[in-house]
Amino acid sequence: MEIYLPIAEMPVNVFLIVGLGAAVGFLSGMFGVGGGFILTPFLMFLGIPPAVAVATQSPQIVASSVSGVVSHWQKGHVDFKMGGVLLSGGLLGSLGGIQLFNALREAGQADLFISLSYVIFLGSIGGLMLWESLQAVRRSDGPASGSGRVAGAHSWIHGLPLKVRFHKSKLYISAIPPLLLGLLIGVLSVVMGVGGGFILVPAMIYLLRMQTSVVVGTSLFQVVFIGAFSTVLHAVTNQSVDAILAGLLIAGGVIGAQFGVRFGERLRGDWMRLSLAVLLLMICVRLGVNLVWPPSNPFSVSVEVPA
Amino acid sequence: MIRRAALVLGLSAVLVAPAWSEELAAGISRDKIEINSRFTGTEVAIFGSVEPATGEVVQENRARDIIVVVRSDRASQATVRRKEPVGPIWVNRDFQTLRDVPAFYFVASNRALADIAAPDVLAQFQLGFSHLETGSAPGVQARVAFRQAFLDAQAAAQLYAQHEGAVTFMSPSLFRTTVALPPNVPAGNLRVTVYAFKNGEVTSSNSMTLFIDKTGIERFLFNLSRREPLFYASALLVVAIGAGLAAAAAFRHRH
Repeated sequence: MEIYLPIAEMPVNVFLIVGLGAAVGFLSGMFGVGGGFILTPFLMFLGIPPAVAVATQSPQIVASSVSGVVSHWQKGHVDFKMGGVLLSGGLLGSLGGIQLFNALREAGQADLFISLSYVIFLGSIGGLMLWESLQAVRRSDGPASGSGRVAGAHSWIHGLPLKVRFHKSKLYISAIPPLLLGLLIGVLSVVMGVGGGFILVPAMIYLLRMQTSVVVGTSLFQVVFIGAFSTVLHAVTNQSVDAILAGLLIAGGVIGAQFGVRFGERLRGDWMRLSLAVLLLMICVRLGVNLVWPPSNPFSVSVEVPA
Repeated sequence: MIRRAALVLGLSAVLVAPAWSEELAAGISRDKIEINSRFTGTEVAIFGSVEPATGEVVQENRARDIIVVVRSDRASQATVRRKEPVGPIWVNRDFQTLRDVPAFYFVASNRALADIAAPDVLAQFQLGFSHLETGSAPGVQARVAFRQAFLDAQAAAQLYAQHEGAVTFMSPSLFRTTVALPPNVPAGNLRVTVYAFKNGEVTSSNSMTLFIDKTGIERFLFNLSRREPLFYASALLVVAIGAGLAAAAAFRHRH
């Protein structure tokens, strides 16, 4: 069944898009990632103009994150205080990110920058997580030991001023690292067109040393706002948000997210980190191959049709 | 049978939207296309008759040549970039910008364009891919490799087509062809122009307009996104948040 998209100006298969939304929603509910890094390339592969693909995933990320965050909240797995600190950094960062994105796009190097940052971030984060979680899985043959914390380990982070107590996260740390982390995520979310969950989740586990159980919900909480902010930004500046496409993705996404949350609960913390690491590394390898493999067609064409 | 149907269709439409000139009459089977939510592309027949001028005697079937061009009023700007290896990775280095290229372009003729007229005549009317202006200024063409990459990409997207031999004569004077409008055809006006050639020169031409417009919900959403983007975004967010809450609530009870 085909339906015509008013902004993308082309028809798509309804079931394919709903299914895609569901798959991405599942990952979102399970790992706390928005899933934009999978959704955007897939939509472009279907022939949807890149500007529309990047812009339209934002409302979908909002919907599946709301779906997931409510379920996590009902179980007390959201640290609103931590989420708020991350968010304030994130909104500031996304304003700076717009400047950077426009500069890169004019130079024609936005794609390269995006691919390189993906490869670097996914590769290093995924590699570290894989190594750590494999250790943890091997160590623990019995009760869940899943926080990823090393007892008594105090890094330089704990020496910083402005200490705040985050009850849910069981942390007493300076507000500076989460604020800076939020800032970085904000910049990346605009430049790379993603919610930034895949960087945020590992950073909360390993850098801030939060409990894995509250990490996913807290990440989703801030992704909701980043997604809403970029929906408005894209709709007002580029007018490239397609409501019909978004509606189809949302329909699949909110249901997929529910299954993701339930599936994620049954996973032990170390296994959850291991599977996220594998997912990140898979995407890293795919993008890395694209960068170094000689392209079948060295030319790329982008056409803009003014309304 | 089909031929007769086409003739009847042709004649009736000529009566509906006649565009006469001294010797060339042309018509289109539809002059308005509405894009609704079930739009998956369509076809439009373009036909007409070319009569010899008074007193002239047609010697043979191929006394006339016909070239049909359909191009969008909407001009697009394209950027073609070429990747080159820099160390181990492939990076966009060289690029060319093509300005004021049509968002949709279709050309059909009764035989090879090169056999119909000389290159300078074809270039004058921008007939055929090789004579389409793609430069930053009139008369200045984009570099060949970049230009070809652009034409290939547009053809792959079904937005550009060139069919030499697709105009068929049903009698010495009656001709017809069909233009396929793909699902991603840009909304707006398409200008349909029929050129009659004789001995390599344009003897007459006729232009018609084909309106393509969104209708119903498609039109409503498109207009809203342009006129009230903030409201559009907010309404979409309300739907998104509502759907998220509804799913969470539904699954909570089921659990």
